[in-house]
Amino acid sequence: MSTMPTSCREIEPHLLASAMGEATRDSVELVRMHVAGCPECREELTRYRAVDGMVDSLRRAPGPDDDATLARAQLTSRLADLRSRMVTFGIFPSPLGPLLIGRSEMGVALVEYLPASGSLTARVRRLLGDDAVEDEAATEGLRAELIEYIEGRRARLAWPLDPRRMRSDFQRRVLEATAALPYGAVTSYAGIAARIGAPSAFRSVAQALRWNPLPIVIPCHRVIGSGGDLVGYAGKRVELKQRLLAVEGVNVGPHDFKVHREAMYTLMHGEVEYCLPTCGSLAERPLSALTLFGTRERAEAAGFGPCSSCRPDLHPLPA
Amino acid sequence: METGLFSQPGGTGVSMGRVMAEDAFEAVVGAHHAEIRRYLLRVTARASDADDLSQETFLRAFRAYRALPSGANVRAWLFTIATNLGRNHFRAQSRRRRAYAAVALEAPAGAPDRTDGRVLADEARVRVEQVIGGLPEKQRLAFIMRKMHELDYAEIGTSLCCSEESARAHVFQALRKIRKGLDSQLSAGTEPRS
Repeated sequence: MSTMPTSCREIEPHLLASAMGEATRDSVELVRMHVAGCPECREELTRYRAVDGMVDSLRRAPGPDDDATLARAQLTSRLADLRSRMVTFGIFPSPLGPLLIGRSEMGVALVEYLPASGSLTARVRRLLGDDAVEDEAATEGLRAELIEYIEGRRARLAWPLDPRRMRSDFQRRVLEATAALPYGAVTSYAGIAARIGAPSAFRSVAQALRWNPLPIVIPCHRVIGSGGDLVGYAGKRVELKQRLLAVEGVNVGPHDFKVHREAMYTLMHGEVEYCLPTCGSLAERPLSALTLFGTRERAEAAGFGPCSSCRPDLHPLPA
Repeated sequence: METGLFSQPGGTGVSMGRVMAEDAFEAVVGAHHAEIRRYLLRVTARASDADDLSQETFLRAFRAYRALPSGANVRAWLFTIATNLGRNHFRAQSRRRRAYAAVALEAPAGAPDRTDGRVLADEARVRVEQVIGGLPEKQRLAFIMRKMHELDYAEIGTSLCCSEESARAHVFQALRKIRKGLDSQLSAGTEPRS
């Protein structure tokens, strides 16, 4: 190469491009003029063309292992697995502060109250893992319905749910019993324990609800202490519980954060008629045996009629 | 009063089906998987590696697919992912030369008849594969992308994290080395084309 004349060295890149068929018209012309007077470069061009021809035949030749069928089938199954595990989420403002909704292919997997400030990246990763994808459009329908619910314009979130964040079968049963509480109704932790046939397990019920992956959707805000106090919600944000209950017509004492039984219509567990709180021996019953409604409308919307002896329809509680 | 909360199908207007981006991804797999696997087969020279890495390419692509701007060059993007995986794979594999040699041995053997032009062409092809396999990594990847998959230099530059000019230089350098490596074959048996 070192002995190559300058003109040959300069033509060499053009010569390569020509041989590969990717030279500009000007390059082709330069090469043509050069090789007309330079037998060495003419020979080079021939050789490069031969190489290019070989490479071309290599490209067209089917390889011995050129069968993608198996790899494709494995890919399809791995993609299906990834898809089913993958959570798509959106973060948006709400009257209760920033909220995250996560959904999978199976259904809504997660609703989370987010702190009003601070970095969310680490928190989101901890909640959802590395495969989560933020996609506002994919959660927009859910967002709109949840906002309607929080603002009291919707009484039901009939979403398909992804159960895979349930921690145990016990938690699943607790959440299912909680989800069965009607809109505008409350009962106690012990009441949920009784409904799932584990009356002494009210502390475990409280724990199970503490880790509710779907607050609001599964209305753990409708579960309160035996004495009517709100106990807790979303960490220490009991005011959110108060607010959600207020939207549903359940009034909570502004100072003591309690639901007052004497101000609530009352339903005995298993009955079909709701009563005034003073009806019969209701006042002596533990809250666990009762469901309380803030308004008659809510009790009736849930399918219960007024008691024929205390007649809450004729003697409504003072508003 | 248990409701079977988690088993009931959805009753609202909120669709839980796959969103469109995911359906579109199936089309991406259909359109590009075979080619990406062929590329990785050329790069790694092992069917099992090509299988694994091509799957990994598309799993990674799936995770990132939503974030891909509409109108992006999906094929070139897949080549970039595959190229990165291939390079990581080599870094992890200290004995890639041996892996390559194993494949070269699999090529049609038989007693070649020197007068048979077809056998000669096969030999030359094996030799080309050998020379390509022995090229420095970037030259080899650039050459395979350019000559086997006809990516343009800008796309190759993106895949290799270098400029379009460097990509071209890699391909040209590869061609020079292949030509040198083939000198014996060329002088022995190939008719010059007009």
